[in-house]
Amino acid sequence: MSITRRAFIKSLALNSAVAAASTLFPGIIFAGWEKTDLPSGMIDWKKTPCRFCGTGCGLLIGVSGDRAVAVKGDPNCSVNKGLCCVKGYHSVQILYGKDRIQKALIRKNGKLVEAPLKEALDLVASKMQETIEKQGKDAVSIYGSGQWSIPDGYAASKLFKGCIGTNNVEANARVCMASAVTGFFTSFGLDEPMGCYEDIDHADVFITWGNNMAEMHPVLFSRMLANRKSKGHVEIIDFATRTTRSSQASDKSILFKPQTDLAVANAICYEIIRNNWVNKDFVSKHVSFHKGKTNIGYGTQDHFKFKDKAETVDFETYKKFLEDYTPEKVEKISGVSAMDIRYLAALYGDPDKKVTSFWCMGMNQHTRGTWINNLVYNIHLLVGKISTPGNSPFSLTGQPSACGTVREVGTLTHKLPHGVVMKEAHRKMAAKIWNVPEKNIDPKPTYHTVEMFRALDRGDIRFMWIQVTNPMVTMPNLRRYRDGAKKDGRFVVVSEIYPTPTSDIADVVLPSALWIEREGFFGNSERRTQHNDQIIPMPGDTMCNTWQLIEVARRLGFEKQFPWSRETYIEDIWNEYTRFHDNPKHRMAPYKELKARAGVQWPFVDGMETKWRYNPKYDPAAKGKDFDFYGKPDNRAWIWMRPYEPAAESPDSDYPFWLNTGRVLEHWHTGSMTRRVPILHKAMPASYVEINPKDADSMGITNGSKVKIISRRGSVEMTASINGRGNPPKGMVFVPFFDENHLINEVTLDAFCPISKQVDYKKCAVKLERA
Amino acid sequence: MRGKTGESIMEKPKHEPMHEPGKKPGKIFLIFAGLCVMALPFIVFAAISYESPSIVAAETHTPLIESQSLDFDHKGNTIFETHDQTSKEYIEGISTDRTLEAFYMLRQYPGSPPYIPHKELEADGVEMECLTCHAKGGWSAELKGNTPVTPHPEQLSCRQCHVKMTVDSLFVDTDWMSIMPPKLGRSHLPGAPPPIAHDLQARGNCIACHVGPGTVSAIRVDHPTRGNCRQCHVPDLHPGLFQQESTF
Repeated sequence: MSITRRAFIKSLALNSAVAAASTLFPGIIFAGWEKTDLPSGMIDWKKTPCRFCGTGCGLLIGVSGDRAVAVKGDPNCSVNKGLCCVKGYHSVQILYGKDRIQKALIRKNGKLVEAPLKEALDLVASKMQETIEKQGKDAVSIYGSGQWSIPDGYAASKLFKGCIGTNNVEANARVCMASAVTGFFTSFGLDEPMGCYEDIDHADVFITWGNNMAEMHPVLFSRMLANRKSKGHVEIIDFATRTTRSSQASDKSILFKPQTDLAVANAICYEIIRNNWVNKDFVSKHVSFHKGKTNIGYGTQDHFKFKDKAETVDFETYKKFLEDYTPEKVEKISGVSAMDIRYLAALYGDPDKKVTSFWCMGMNQHTRGTWINNLVYNIHLLVGKISTPGNSPFSLTGQPSACGTVREVGTLTHKLPHGVVMKEAHRKMAAKIWNVPEKNIDPKPTYHTVEMFRALDRGDIRFMWIQVTNPMVTMPNLRRYRDGAKKDGRFVVVSEIYPTPTSDIADVVLPSALWIEREGFFGNSERRTQHNDQIIPMPGDTMCNTWQLIEVARRLGFEKQFPWSRETYIEDIWNEYTRFHDNPKHRMAPYKELKARAGVQWPFVDGMETKWRYNPKYDPAAKGKDFDFYGKPDNRAWIWMRPYEPAAESPDSDYPFWLNTGRVLEHWHTGSMTRRVPILHKAMPASYVEINPKDADSMGITNGSKVKIISRRGSVEMTASINGRGNPPKGMVFVPFFDENHLINEVTLDAFCPISKQVDYKKCAVKLERA
Repeated sequence: MRGKTGESIMEKPKHEPMHEPGKKPGKIFLIFAGLCVMALPFIVFAAISYESPSIVAAETHTPLIESQSLDFDHKGNTIFETHDQTSKEYIEGISTDRTLEAFYMLRQYPGSPPYIPHKELEADGVEMECLTCHAKGGWSAELKGNTPVTPHPEQLSCRQCHVKMTVDSLFVDTDWMSIMPPKLGRSHLPGAPPPIAHDLQARGNCIACHVGPGTVSAIRVDHPTRGNCRQCHVPDLHPGLFQQESTF
């Protein structure tokens, strides 16, 4: 339900009266926050999921009058049990940057000027209409995000796919989670993890694959540490390409050369088979073996196409395939000693140890992202360590609703809320629920993210609406896509809360309501759907992203499909959307339940959440005695023969360094929110380039000196960080991407996994120069 | 605890850190800062005799973190144990001159995790190096101050919430406002024990912040050896009074 400003003022007046009587406060002004009359006794605590990462911590927001003034962890939320990270604790400060966009902006004579919101919405609708008439429906597009609230993504999909009839719907989760999705589909036939965070409390061994959880999923990381401390025998193995905080906290840190995780995963399987650690009963009943295409390319050319083809093989063929991956052979490729490979295999193979693997961007942002996801599942499947408490191959999500919105609602070109556009039955279902003619839904997917921005550059796409993401900082090979978006005859609409490099190139900026200023839902990494109320009023002319879409849809003549009232539209959308998932494999909790609880895990069947899928003990959709991998037609999980293939671009004599990019604890993605949080900016004010001390020494680079990072695509100048927070091995540099003033993505490469179309931001070749 | 705003009930600190008072505010801040680190009010712990920096504490029992750290009603045993294990010298130590102003300067709102105000003494890792000092408190020769004690030593990943400032400027100005910190001395009757004015989540162990040489002087109790704080001090988080509603 929406809360009007007037209602808030009324409640504030009431509070102030009580406050005046209580006079609880000394007249001291402490540095760090402004003096206010808001009394602590009047704080109301309201629940919401955190705005930032895919962990999905439950927060309690302290509200005084119409202001959010404090945060604590929600002790009722099983995700974080009352603890947050530094971003979560200061998350409410993202609401109060002084440059908040509160009015619509329209580009007039080359400059963005304030305009009435109605005029901006009219312009968006008429420009869309005009583009569709002149260039066809596939010339308009929407680019959203894993930070889209579920109703945002749902309204976008319904408008574009159902009403307009174009599959030009994509989201930044394509460059964040797509390989996890294709990994799940190819191995299990259904998306999202079988396990849940409770696995952390049961596992004996944690192996993190290219995953700096101490900074990226800190609440889950400290839960591992707490378990290790209390139990004594728990081990954490950090398997990565660079030494990080997570490496330092782990029991063992094993470094591998970029891209060679593929070879190591196969070597682990080789060792498991050689040592007879295969769980034969599990494998014979629940696993089948397959191979796909090889030498599959990297997608750096426009119009790149690839379609994999699965071929069923037998165990012997698989075993033979693995002969190329003996520990000794793989040691040469990966730099991981044969002893360490055997050590990893022994951990997975030990029948008395429960093993949980974690990964996130290291495996997903990978030109063989689908493959490496498959390969880690292979390991768990060979030893049968899956779908039981503590035995969990767990794909962590980056964004708060990459799962909830992009993956479950399906805001990707080929997807529908249930199924894919290519399948008639799925189109029929969508057309029925959406109340649109079946022929509206185009059976052919159009552009994945990179190709969508290429199409904008080429002119195949003329209109793009961007919500809740900042692609003019995050697109790889950025210059091409920024220049493309700025070309004449392109019309870019940006729904934003603060000025960003993306709003800078917009023709219209729509002022958006943020997080707890509107009602919505997120869905986290462990299949948990989380509702948030509108907790504080929307400032100025800001408007919920969902409602922006509804306003434009109605202007385009789709009143019938977008009939909801402003008071109940979020609930109405939830009720309509969940019809897509009304089966035991994916049933979602009803609105009332979600409103009351700190998140509910799906499948939610007969009032029960499902913690472990594919296991009949826990999963109502699973049949039989022990396991039931019902996502695949053969009711088995699939082991894949996936070879090691090199990266799209590796260091050579001209460009001798690997460039690896990523996040830091303090900043969320491009920092458009977290850089406006005083403590987070003060702690991490600018990006930098981490260089190995030996490399730095040989080039005469010292800590703090300026370094130019140059690739075949562009260059950027940064401050060197030597022995800083992280330490890359010799021959690699690492750069956090949050800093819009130092755009590392001018340097990165737009190569992607041919199956998932997810970009590899972790590997390209650069050279360094002292600046 | 008795709140002690106005007159000081403290004696002159027995072991004042060796610093030059008051010449440069920057320096003073640095020293306060050095004293302030991670702690929010409350924990307990082993002891350090602050007379001589020898650690006399026994190993403390650390439970697996559940929904709240050291929640008084459910983890009371740990609280009492740690109180027992804290030396008399430590409990009675009052050497610091940390002020409330310095305490709140490290925070964005009452209850927020404070930032790290001192230079890092060890490599930039995740855990343990903070707790070497902040689990038990005591004199830090390097920072020349008494160490504040964390109320939640069972949380190991300190840097998850506590960050170090590297610059003092903002990216853009902020319009942030929060509530004022609770007033001290809120006894409802003259001489009555004041109620607990803050949230107890992650801050449920009273003596971490209200007892010992590393505490903020204004919130240090004058009867630190009593272990059952909550027999007299109750949470005061509801603003109103009891209203009888008609049962007709």
